[in-house]
Amino acid sequence: MLQVRNIEKYYGSKNNVTKALDRVSFDVADGEFIAIMGASGSGKTTLLNCISTIDTVSAGDILLDGVNIAELPSGELARFRRERLGFVFQDFNLLDTLTVEENIGLALALNHSDPNAVRRQVGAVAQKLGIGDILEKFPYQVSGGQKQRAACARAMAAGQSLLLADEPTGALDSRASKNLLEIMSEMNSGMRATILMVTHDSYSASYAGRVMFLKDGRIFNELLRGERTRAVFYHEILDVLAVLGGDVSDVI
Amino acid sequence: MTLSKLSLRNAKRQAGDYLVYFVTIVLAAALIYAFNGLIFSKEVQELSQLLKSLPLTIVLASIVVVGIIRWMISYTTNFMLTRRSRELGTYMLIGLESRQVARMFFLENLMVGGAALALGVLLGNLLYQALRAIVLALFGTPYTFSFFFSVKALGLTLLYFALVYLSVQMKSRKRIRGMKIYDLIYYEKQNQGAVIRTSRNRRRIFVLSVILGIAGSILLMVGDLLFGLIGAGCVIAFLYSFFLCFASGVPAFFDRQPARKYRKQNLLIFRTLTAKLASMGILMATIALLFTATLISEGTGMIFRAIFRNRTAQNSCFDMILSGDAQTEVFRDCKQYMDENIPVRDGWQYPVYLSKDDTVTAYLESNMKYHRYYKADTVMRESDYAALRSMLGYDAVTLAPGQYLIHCRPYVAAALTDWDRTLEIGGQALVPAGLRTEIFAQQAYDVNGNGFILVVPDAAAEACVVDHTMYAALTEEPVGAAQQEALYGLQREAYEQNGYSGDMLLYTRSAAEAEVAAMTATTVFPLFYLALVLTMTAAAILTVQQLSETDRYRRQFALLRKLGMDRREMAAALRTQFGIYYAMPAIPPLLIGVPFIVHLAGATEPGIMVGASAPATIVGICLGLFFAVYAVYILLAYTSLKRNVLPE
Ligand SMILES: Nc1ncnc2c1ncn2[C@@H]1O[C@H](COP(=O)(O)OP(=O)(O)O)[C@@H](O)[C@H]1O
Ligand SMILES: [Mg+2]
Repeated sequence: MLQVRNIEKYYGSKNNVTKALDRVSFDVADGEFIAIMGASGSGKTTLLNCISTIDTVSAGDILLDGVNIAELPSGELARFRRERLGFVFQDFNLLDTLTVEENIGLALALNHSDPNAVRRQVGAVAQKLGIGDILEKFPYQVSGGQKQRAACARAMAAGQSLLLADEPTGALDSRASKNLLEIMSEMNSGMRATILMVTHDSYSASYAGRVMFLKDGRIFNELLRGERTRAVFYHEILDVLAVLGGDVSDVI
Repeated sequence: MTLSKLSLRNAKRQAGDYLVYFVTIVLAAALIYAFNGLIFSKEVQELSQLLKSLPLTIVLASIVVVGIIRWMISYTTNFMLTRRSRELGTYMLIGLESRQVARMFFLENLMVGGAALALGVLLGNLLYQALRAIVLALFGTPYTFSFFFSVKALGLTLLYFALVYLSVQMKSRKRIRGMKIYDLIYYEKQNQGAVIRTSRNRRRIFVLSVILGIAGSILLMVGDLLFGLIGAGCVIAFLYSFFLCFASGVPAFFDRQPARKYRKQNLLIFRTLTAKLASMGILMATIALLFTATLISEGTGMIFRAIFRNRTAQNSCFDMILSGDAQTEVFRDCKQYMDENIPVRDGWQYPVYLSKDDTVTAYLESNMKYHRYYKADTVMRESDYAALRSMLGYDAVTLAPGQYLIHCRPYVAAALTDWDRTLEIGGQALVPAGLRTEIFAQQAYDVNGNGFILVVPDAAAEACVVDHTMYAALTEEPVGAAQQEALYGLQREAYEQNGYSGDMLLYTRSAAEAEVAAMTATTVFPLFYLALVLTMTAAAILTVQQLSETDRYRRQFALLRKLGMDRREMAAALRTQFGIYYAMPAIPPLLIGVPFIVHLAGATEPGIMVGASAPATIVGICLGLFFAVYAVYILLAYTSLKRNVLPE
């Protein structure tokens, strides 16, 4: 569904250029769960931001279902974000004046859906993610893990097909992380969501079906899980990281 | 959840988070409405013909006021937009179009503005009653409550606010629609640098700015319009360059002085302060400018009022004075009208003579600040003096033969305490017999001398030339407006028929008092209105800026607490930081405003700015007013910050 073709991204002015992405190409098929790993500063966030239309590429194309996202006019782009893309950030990014339920349903509601339908839809997604009982609360009243699940629910509520997550477990303790990763797996297998997750943590990455390693803005290696168990896959990831330089897990 | 519901919720939050700003808009709306009320009040218009120009001056002041309020609203809206970048970015991230975000923000501000306006108009009705009471008191009319509501005043207030909000919202709409989602979401990671980087440039600009400041202040005091304008320009340039250097200079200073930096809470205070100031140079300068304008308008207003009042107050011992050449038609017609139409309790007509030399005048000129109006010393007959004293209820005074006495104003008496010269008047040598200083119509031309008159034996006076004839009277009732008009009419008519023949003074106490009241209403009111709004808006912006750091302070103090700093030290650090922050923009205005007021007060003729109008008193009142308003804002900010930041 997603094709990334030779994208490059430069930051800075004429005499001080940082090359954050260097000819990155890959394809994502429907229903995949991909983890992107790499050291701090390797370009993971930049890559995700380019795909999510938050940022623009300096060169190359990104096609979603054959549509070049760089060529969409702004109105279309908003619709595209609303209907196709879901985002989860490390720091939750929920609106603190809205209840969890309102946060999840906001985009749906503002786009003139029938209020009852919105409620039902929000309720259903929340139930699946195990946050059905905190819908009336405000973000500051719930735990980090719950907030992150609410963010996932928001990312999925409108039936978006591509979930983009930047270090979603970065601010969570290990138990909440595990819980969230299991929920994301469930979203991937049970709700057929395509997931692209950035992480620097091998344990998180081992939940994915495919792991891409980024180094200095280039794709350095790629690992497929296939039929292996998660534990075996986890060790393989660690092996690649050892080759990569091993500084990945301890630097955020 | 609809767009408008979300806007409503955000509006409530905005009013809470920016309470000081909200309250300031309410107060500004109240003031604007109350003053508009004066424009459209029939009752006020009918108080006096002289209030004809009141609407004009109020509208002019309102235009400036509306401009300042627009600046505040525009600044704060922009500030909120910046601080809420992440939130706006999130809206866009989940698929809202920038058009929708802009509309949401517009609705939010419309609600806040609408609520402020509604509250403001309610409060404005009370304020109007207060203004009305002051105006009525000025004209000596008793105050009785009467409900007032003017659709026109409301309409004009609405118009002002609509203009302000529309223009501000158009600006922010443009800004929102041009915003990039990346910049919004990652706003917090982008920092602005200091405006002036190298310290050599900074030092040069700093020196230049101080020179400009001093030159500007001096030019302002020269009193010439052109120099005044150039001076004002210099002062503005001074304020901006001063604050730009200051804001970027303080951090540099402490980086070079580690010993100072690590003394007690200095590090904490200056880091928090400079983080804020580095980006606030221009704002601080603008606020200092507004404060300067505040002090100058208050001072000018008070000085104007003192001039109006104290000049005519010199004549107010009489109800009516007619003065000029008794032979001219002007004088005779007016006098005749008075005799026929105005019931007089007591009246006296007498000549004022001129001695042949100017011994006393010249002495005063060389020994004090004294303006000469007559070419020689003014003289009056003892018998006229006695008649006037008895009319005014002053104790009787008798002169022994060969004596004269000086009746003068207190400011002149101060220079004559040791006076002992013998004078030759009307061919007689006379010795001084003391001073009398009761109020006695001694201001400038055509009265009982300028500041003093010599009272001499009748024969001595009659040997001098007559300068003018005075008729002074006490009336049974205050001279009415219609009679006053008739007198003015006679004076005009006589001038037209006979040409201008000599000065003529036509004074009635009631007219003079009405004139002072009208002058006060038309000039002092607008100036104070302006001053009040200037102080409020500038203080509100400072406070909004300060309170926007609440979260950061809270985190910082929580950390310091863990590092072992005790609560008292933290409170002290907070207070020092607060003190410096609020003092900075107030100091340059003091340095410019106070000398300006003192100078302006000193530029009037002597004997006017005395007593309750002494320059020091005026400066004191101006500073008192300014700091009273400012202190309310500082106190609000301090209590709010202390409550939210310092752990219990
Ligand atoms: N806004 C920016 N301006 C300049 N350089 C940037 C910006 N954002 C990221 N970079 C640079 O691009 C590179 C990749 O950054 P990023 O994608 O955030 O890395 P990661 O998410 O893998 O830690 C880094 O060298 C970073 O310094
Ligand atoms: Mg990153």
